[in-house]
Amino acid sequence: MIVASSKPFQEIKQMLSGFKKVCVLGCGSCVTICHTGGEKQVIELAAQLRLSAKLEGREVEVIEDSTLRQCEWEFIEDIREVIQDCDAVLSIACGIGVQYMAERFPKIRVFPGLNTTFMGGPTEQGIFWERCAGCGNCILGTTGGLCPVSRCAKSLLNGPCGGSQNGKCEVSQETPCVWHQIYDQLDTQRLLATMETIVPPKDWTTGMENHPRKMILEHLVMKK
Amino acid sequence: MTVTNTCVTFDKKINEEAPCILACPIRQDARDYVQLIARGRFSEAFRLVRERNPLPAACGRICTHPCETKCRRNSTDAPIAIAWLKRVLGDNFSEETRKITTEKYPEKIAIIGAGPAGLAAANDLALFGYSCTIFESNSTPGGMLRMGVPPYRLPRKTIDNDVEFIKKLGVEIQYNTTFGADITFASLKEDGFSAVFIGIGLIESRTLNIEGVQLGGVLKGISFLNEVNTTGSARIGKNVLVIGGGAVAMDCARTALRLKSHKVSVACLESRKEMPTTDFEIEEAVHEGVVLYNSVGPKRIVGKDGKVAGLETLRVKHVFDEQKRFNPAFYEGSESVIEADTIILAIGQASNLSFLKGQDGIQITRGGTIVVNPATFSTSVHGIYAGGDIVLGRGTMTESMAQGKKAAIAIHNALRNTAIKDEKWAEKPAVPEVLPSRISFIKKEQKQEMPVMPLEERLNSFDEVELGFRLNEAVKEAQRCMNCGAGALVDDNLCVGCLTCVRVCPFEVPEIKRGDTTAYIDGDCQSCGLCIVECPAKAISFKTPLEDCGRDALEAVFQEKFIQGVKPLIINFYCQYGVYYEDTIDAIDDAFFSHVRRVGVLGLGKVDPSLYLKAFELGAHGVVVTACKDDICHFCKDREWVERRTKFASQLLGGLGMEPGRLRTHFVSSQNGKEVLELALRMVEDMKNLSSGQS
Ligand code: SF4
Ligand code: SF4
Ligand code: SF4
Ligand code: SF4
Repeated sequence: MIVASSKPFQEIKQMLSGFKKVCVLGCGSCVTICHTGGEKQVIELAAQLRLSAKLEGREVEVIEDSTLRQCEWEFIEDIREVIQDCDAVLSIACGIGVQYMAERFPKIRVFPGLNTTFMGGPTEQGIFWERCAGCGNCILGTTGGLCPVSRCAKSLLNGPCGGSQNGKCEVSQETPCVWHQIYDQLDTQRLLATMETIVPPKDWTTGMENHPRKMILEHLVMKK
Repeated sequence: MTVTNTCVTFDKKINEEAPCILACPIRQDARDYVQLIARGRFSEAFRLVRERNPLPAACGRICTHPCETKCRRNSTDAPIAIAWLKRVLGDNFSEETRKITTEKYPEKIAIIGAGPAGLAAANDLALFGYSCTIFESNSTPGGMLRMGVPPYRLPRKTIDNDVEFIKKLGVEIQYNTTFGADITFASLKEDGFSAVFIGIGLIESRTLNIEGVQLGGVLKGISFLNEVNTTGSARIGKNVLVIGGGAVAMDCARTALRLKSHKVSVACLESRKEMPTTDFEIEEAVHEGVVLYNSVGPKRIVGKDGKVAGLETLRVKHVFDEQKRFNPAFYEGSESVIEADTIILAIGQASNLSFLKGQDGIQITRGGTIVVNPATFSTSVHGIYAGGDIVLGRGTMTESMAQGKKAAIAIHNALRNTAIKDEKWAEKPAVPEVLPSRISFIKKEQKQEMPVMPLEERLNSFDEVELGFRLNEAVKEAQRCMNCGAGALVDDNLCVGCLTCVRVCPFEVPEIKRGDTTAYIDGDCQSCGLCIVECPAKAISFKTPLEDCGRDALEAVFQEKFIQGVKPLIINFYCQYGVYYEDTIDAIDDAFFSHVRRVGVLGLGKVDPSLYLKAFELGAHGVVVTACKDDICHFCKDREWVERRTKFASQLLGGLGMEPGRLRTHFVSSQNGKEVLELALRMVEDMKNLSSGQS
């Protein structure tokens, strides 16, 4: 899923300064699950906005709403009525949702309440790790199911760098060295020999280097 | 699809009902009044009880409480004292029931007998809007409650209080009016009554067909009790033997002890386990000094000079035959004699149907009870209904009330040509027993003991033996209740299957079953509310509106007149477990009362951090959270959650530039009223000194 973190409140306040009627809009999918963009955060953020206005003697009306997914035209169309007389929408979806909102409601200012951060998942309640870089050419089949593109600080493809120590990454002691983990995993699977295969330089054009990417499923595209 | 769910509003169907409610013949809202008491909301609890129960004070004392037998707390330690809690309400609170109708129908209804069935029927018919007259042969109300139940178990003023309430609904009672003599079916018809409900009970004591029953000193149970209950005395000897093993036998024996008999014994056919009354009543009798002779049958009463000298008995082989029918058999040659100068027969009651003379067509059973349609309690004659012991044979007080209530609905339906139903009686599955694997997560909590009069004092008077809970004891007892069937419920339309509830629940209740996309919370939910707060989709809420996690209480504070003028205003969120509000802050402290308002929640794990923000938004200048220490936490886990949530809320407030000291958390038991008081007062002082731009 997409993981996003909350923007500092000061930044949000700045973005919204001067607007009289603001809708805080949550998204019921990935960002709900990572506890930054769900109904709970809508309530909290709206309370913060109201309280901050009260403390500073400003008049602001804050309304609260959510959609199942902000990255679907049909779902966001449903809230047209709710936001029509708002000056601004604070979308706490990932960047995709924010853009969908901005595109569909060009007359209303739409601001991001989150920083979309990575694709990953919870390893335990409250802790999220990056797991995929969306490189467009998955190699997990040869690395024991661990992604060196997203989990190695240097995205190395042919084994660890010289900084790997005691299983930790030299860039951060908090981060396990994924190449150390790959080695252990291949060892368990009696596949260590694959470590010796030299992986040629990766074709990065399938990934981040080639924006914007697009996918077409011919068999599903309907005539306009 | 838009999801607007700041406050979850959807059809909160409760499909499983608490077994305590289902077990009650009148379907008293046991769980809900217990839960209200747990929150110190006594008046509301009383109102709730009274809306279904016409005799709460009496019921709280002598009901056989099948609710407690079925209480799910049996599987963790001991059942909730549901009946005793009702007694607290009946004894200490009285408030008009809210349901008083403005509807007035022209029909008059005659009720025969002011016992539990008749009173219940009259009460409910009056609530519907009918004028009811109860005709009672005695000079006081209560029926068997008054004739049969001794005052040390049921003080007379409690019956009077309950009845007074019924009279306030407009019910008239005509005493000293015997049905069949002073009034008849014909006279009632002439007087314009549209329907008659017969609830006259079983007024004859059964007697034994053995040699010697006519001897002087042989008394009938209910007559004996009635005499003592009305005059305060009766002529008995020094060595009394009661024959019978039921509640009436125990009452006769304990009454005889209070009349200063030297020895009082009870002889019955049944073994100790088979005796047809509650353990509790038997134990109390034995505790007071009654001697039990179990498994003996009466052969003849031995006489001397025309007076009783003893009872010759036979040893019982079995009381019930293989078909489980009552069919006692005895060992031959096992005769022995129990000496006694008085013998009281407490072997059951029988009907007296002489009032039926001239009224043909009312079908009766071989046992002398009236046959009714089990759904409507209508007899075989149109417009004549019956209920209570005259139908049941031998029933409990609550069963009788249930029949009176059901008959009331049927009478209304017949007169108005409607088909209304009382939804409370609908068939529903009971919440199943607690899953064994979860029992160890649930904290064992000592059941409150009923304070009783010391043994030495008891036998000197007919004063009530059980003294009743004090309010704080009642609150503590009620707080043991697990709120069965009213716990957390997931709205499938909102749940995104994030697993948070599954991970945070300390009782391992929520689960997302294979193949499901949403979480499911079963009846073992303990209502701690942790998942409700943590669910990021706000998909979980309590099934009943009773628990709103502190929101209403907070808003109520700001409804208060002039509250915005209070400076500084401190809101104290406190855990209600173990405390009864009025009890805690007893020191009358002006500063406290003028600056601090309290929001009690049954477990602070239910409080959403946004509520602390809300307090400030509404106008508070400081918030002090006083949460229990670990060791006394009812849910065992709330502390860590309170800690991290208040920390989180502090961060949110910090982000707004608010001084850190404005939200404080202290782990001090709410039971420690003195410390809470000090902490709150310190905050008042500090807030006075903080010169922020807050208004
Ligand atoms: S230490 Fe390991 S994870 Fe870190 S950069 Fe080097 S190879 Fe990558
Ligand atoms: S624990 Fe409470 S709700 Fe559950 S059965 Fe007992 S009294 Fe009823
Ligand atoms: S916490 Fe809420 S959204 Fe997550 S699984 Fe439970 S009910 Fe569903
Ligand atoms: S309310 Fe508490 S006990 Fe009930 S399911 Fe949620 S976390 Fe578990």
